[in-house]
Amino acid sequence: MRPNRARRLAIGITAAAMLLAGCSAPAASPSSAAPQENAQLVFRTWDENAAKAYDQTFAKFTAANPGITVKTEVVAWADYFTKLRTDIAGGSAPDIFWLNNSYLAPYARNGNLVDINATLGADAAGAWVPSVVKQFTVDGKLWGVPQTSDGGIAVYYNKKLVADAGLSEADIAKLAWSPSGGDNSLLTVAEKLTKDASGKTADQAGFDAKHVKQYGYNAAYDLQAIYLPFIGSNGGTYQDGDTFTFSNPKTVEAFSYVVDLINKHHVAPSAADTNTNGDFSRDQFLQGKMALFQSGLYNLANVEAGAKFDWGVVGLPAGPAGAISVTNGVAVVGNAASKNSAAVAKLLAYLGTAEGNQAIGASGANLPGVTGAQQVYKDYWASKKVDLTPFFSVLDNGTIPAPTGENFAAGYAAYDPILQEIFLGRKDVAAGLAEADAAANKAIQG
Amino acid sequence: MHEPSSGARTRPGRRRARLREAVAGYGLLAPSLVGIVAFLVVPILVAIGLSFYKWDLLSRPRFVGLTNWAAVGTDPALLNSAAVTIAYVLLVIPLQTVLGIALAVLLHRGLPGSAGLRSILVLPWVCAPLALGIVWKWIFAPTDGALNALLGTSIAWLSDPDLALPAVAFVAVWSQAGYVALFFLAGLAAIPASVLEAAQLDGAGAVRTFWYVTLPLLRPTLFFVLVTTTISAFQAFDSIYALTQGGPAGATNVVAMQIYTSAFKTFDMGRAAALAVALFVVLVLISLAQQLYFRRRITYDLS
Amino acid sequence: MTSASRTRPLADAGTYVVLVAAALLTLAPFALSVLTSLKAPVQFASTSPLSLPNPVTVENYLTLFDGSRVDFGSALGLTAAMVVVVLAGQLVFSIMAAYAFARLEFPGRDLLFWVYLATLMVPPVVTVVPLYLMMVQLGLRNTFSGLVLPYLLGSPYAVFLLREFFRGIPSELTDAARIDGAGTWRTLLHIVVPLSRPVIATLAIITVVTHANNFLWPLIITSGDELQVLTTATASLQGRFNANWTLVTAATTVAMLPLMAVFLAFSRRIVDSIQITGFR
Repeated sequence: MRPNRARRLAIGITAAAMLLAGCSAPAASPSSAAPQENAQLVFRTWDENAAKAYDQTFAKFTAANPGITVKTEVVAWADYFTKLRTDIAGGSAPDIFWLNNSYLAPYARNGNLVDINATLGADAAGAWVPSVVKQFTVDGKLWGVPQTSDGGIAVYYNKKLVADAGLSEADIAKLAWSPSGGDNSLLTVAEKLTKDASGKTADQAGFDAKHVKQYGYNAAYDLQAIYLPFIGSNGGTYQDGDTFTFSNPKTVEAFSYVVDLINKHHVAPSAADTNTNGDFSRDQFLQGKMALFQSGLYNLANVEAGAKFDWGVVGLPAGPAGAISVTNGVAVVGNAASKNSAAVAKLLAYLGTAEGNQAIGASGANLPGVTGAQQVYKDYWASKKVDLTPFFSVLDNGTIPAPTGENFAAGYAAYDPILQEIFLGRKDVAAGLAEADAAANKAIQG
Repeated sequence: MHEPSSGARTRPGRRRARLREAVAGYGLLAPSLVGIVAFLVVPILVAIGLSFYKWDLLSRPRFVGLTNWAAVGTDPALLNSAAVTIAYVLLVIPLQTVLGIALAVLLHRGLPGSAGLRSILVLPWVCAPLALGIVWKWIFAPTDGALNALLGTSIAWLSDPDLALPAVAFVAVWSQAGYVALFFLAGLAAIPASVLEAAQLDGAGAVRTFWYVTLPLLRPTLFFVLVTTTISAFQAFDSIYALTQGGPAGATNVVAMQIYTSAFKTFDMGRAAALAVALFVVLVLISLAQQLYFRRRITYDLS
Repeated sequence: MTSASRTRPLADAGTYVVLVAAALLTLAPFALSVLTSLKAPVQFASTSPLSLPNPVTVENYLTLFDGSRVDFGSALGLTAAMVVVVLAGQLVFSIMAAYAFARLEFPGRDLLFWVYLATLMVPPVVTVVPLYLMMVQLGLRNTFSGLVLPYLLGSPYAVFLLREFFRGIPSELTDAARIDGAGTWRTLLHIVVPLSRPVIATLAIITVVTHANNFLWPLIITSGDELQVLTTATASLQGRFNANWTLVTAATTVAMLPLMAVFLAFSRRIVDSIQITGFR
C-alpha cells in the first residue's frame, strides 16, 4: 500500500498548497506597461436602457481612439454583485463597470479599483455632480467617474385614473402623511384611488380587499423608492455609519405606516406580489392598474415607453419631517487588474467628459453624472413635455443617506428575510425591526 | 488477469507479465484517477481546510479556528436551513415514492397505450430542473400566473411562507414521480408471475396480494429508490433557485441554497465550506445505511 | 398482474382514468408555457393567462435569437459543445478505468476501487465552492476549459456501471483474443466495447441529460454573455426580464426542447435503459 500512502500524502500536500495559494492570492497586479496599440475592453452594467446608450458612446470613442474597442454586457441586478465578486477574485472581471456606492467600499479598500484622482488628475472631479463624487469617495480617495445622478424620488400618476376618482392634480400635488394624527392626505387619496372588482373604493363600506382591481399607491418593500424616503420623511435613520438602525423609534413608525398601507388599508399590492418582484408595481402602473407610482428618474424612460395613457409627476408625499428623499448616483469604475490599464484610463477619462456621458442622457434613460452632460437630458424631457421639477425640488429639503458599508451585502442578506415577513404582515413591525437590527449588525461584523 | 491456462512460463516471465499488466492497469486508470482525485477528493480536503478560515474573496483569508463550525450549530439562519431541508425531504420523498409505486402498478397492468403514457410521465426528467422551476414560477405567479387564473383565486403560492415550501416540494414530486415509477416498474417486472398466481389461487384479493406479496418483494427496489432520491433531495438547488431563491423569509432556504448564498451572496467562503462539509457528512451517513443494507451485495462485487 | 387475458373493464377504466389524468397533469405546464410564449406581451398583459394566443406570434422567439437582448443561439451551440466534449471524455476514460477494474490484476486495485466508490457520495453542491477556488487558481474562471474540466476525466458512477457490465462478459471471449495476440487496447476496442453497446448507450443518455441540464457549475464558473449555456442563459433572462413571461416562457421552451425532442424520438429505448441502470 506504499504507493497509496504516497498518493494520500501528495493529495494532502496539493490541498495545503492550494489553500496557501488561495491565502496569498491578492488581486493580480496591474500591468502598467506601455500603452497597448490594440485593446478590447469589456464594460458591464445592470441597466438595459443604459447599455444601448453606451453602445453609441463606445462607437464614438473607438472612432477617436482607433484600436480600442469596447463591448457592453448586461448582468441582471439580482446577480450583479455575485458575478462581480467572483469575477474580481477569478481575474475575469470586466475592464470597466458600473458600481453603486452601497457596494463600493470593499473593492475600494482592497485595491481592486483604479484610483480616479491619480489616473485622471485631481481636477477631473470638478466637472462632475458633487453629491455623486462624494458618494464615491472612500478614505479620501475617489474611485469612480459619475455616470448618473438620480435626482430624488417623486410620484408618477395616471391622469385618467385620478380624474375618474374625482380628484384634481391639486388634490394630489401636495400629499402628506403622518403616523400619529396630523395631515394624512396620502392615505385618503390612495383609498379613493383603490377599487375592488365591483368598483367600490377602499374608503367605502363593503370594499373587497381580496379582489382589488386598481391600486391607489405602490407602498412596498422597496428600499430606494419607498422605505428610505418614508424613514427620512419621518425623521428616522436607516444607518449610522455602517451600523443599521432599524429600531430607531422614528424608523419603526415609518415602517408601521407603510406596512399598514398594504395590509390594513389595502391601497397597495400585497407584499406577496411585490416582495420578490421589484418590477411588479411598475408593471401594474404601466398597465393602467395603479394610480400613483412612487419612484425615481431611473423609471422615467420605462414609464415614457410603456405608459399608453396620459401621466404626470408630482412631488414626494411629505411626512412629519418634510419630504425627504434619497439620491443615489452610479459611477463607472476601472478594474485595477485590467491588462489594458492605459486604454482603461483613456476610456474613463472619456466617460467623464460631457460628450462621453451624453448618450445615456440623450435617450432620456438616465440623468448624467457629468454636470455638462445634464442639459441634453433636460432638453430631451422638455421636448417630451415632461416636467422634471418634482425630482429635483425635493432634494432642497435635504436627503437621507443611501445605504453604505464595507459589508453591506452581508447585512442586507441578514435583514432581508425579516423585512419580507414584516411586509407580509407575519411579524410585528417593532419586534421584527429589532430582530433585523440585531441580525444585520451581527452579519456586518463578520 | 486470471492465470493463463498453462504453468509453462518461467518465473521471471510471469513476473514480467504481471508487471506489464500492472502498467496497463494503471495506464488505463490514470486519467480517471487524476480526475477523481483532483475534482472530487481534493475539493473535499480544500473545503475542510477552508472551513477554518474567514474569507470574502477580496481581502486575505483569516484563520478563525472553529468559529464557522460553531455557527453551523448555532446560527439561526443555518439552523433554519437545516430544518427547511429536512421538512422538504419529508414532504417530497414519501409523496413521490407512493405516487411512483401507484403509477408503476397501473402501468404494469400493460394495457394498450401504457408505453406512450409511461414516456409522457418520464418527460419532466429530461428537462432542466432550472427551466422547469421557471415554468412553475410563472404558473404560481400571484396575478398573471396560470394556477390562480384556473382557480379564480389570488393566492401567493410562492410568497406566502406557509405555502412556499409545499409548492416547491410539489414541483419536485411532479417532475420526479414518473421517473421513480420506472424503477418500480422494473422491480415489478422482476417478480415472477407464478408467485402472484399462487397468491391468487390461495384466494387473496388484489389488495391483499399487493400488500402481502408484491410490496415485500419490491423491498430492494424501494430501498434503493428511497436512498438515492433522499440523497438527491438533500441537495435540491436548481428548481429552488428558479422558484424562490430560498425565500420568502427563508421558508425554502434549503442547505444547498444556503451554501450558495453564504459563498456567493454574502461572500463568506469559510462558512459555506463548513456547511458543505456538514452536508457531506450527513449524506455519507445516509449512504452508510445503504452500504449496510446491501453489504452482502457489495462484498460479492469486490470479490 | 399482467392480466391481459382476464377482462376487468372496471379496473381497466380506472387505470386509464388515473394514468391519463397523470399524463395531462404532466403535460399541462409545458402546454401552458408554450401557449404563453406564442402570445404578444400586449395580449398577455390584457387577457387571462389561460387565453389562447391571438394572434399567434413568434416575436418572443425571434427576440431570443436576434442577439439584441440575449443570445440563445450561442447558448445552444455552447451547450452542445460542452455536452459533446464531456460525453466523449467520460465515455473514453470511464471505459478505460472500468476495464482495468474488471479485467486486469494489479496491486492496489481493490483499494482504488473503494476510493472510486467512496467518491460516488460526493455531491456537487459540496465541491462547488472549492472547485471554483481551484479554477480561479488555475486561471480557468470563465473559460470553456473550466466549464468542462471537472467532468472530462470520467465519473465514478460511469466506472461503476461499466465495470459491473464488463465483469459479465464471458472471460473466454477476452482470453481468446489475448491468445490471438491482441493487446489490452485491441481487446478493449474490438471485443469489450462492441459487446457493451447497450450499457454505453445508457450511460451516454444519462450523461447527456445530466450535463445539458447542469446549472450550478456553469452558474458559478462562467459570467457575462460569452460563455452562457442554456440553463444559465435562461436564468439570467428571467432575472433581467422579471415578469416578462411571454419572453421567459419562450426561453424555457427553447431550453427544454432539444432534449425533449431527442427523448420523444427514442423514448422507449431511453426508458428501457433508465431501468437497466437501477437494477442489474
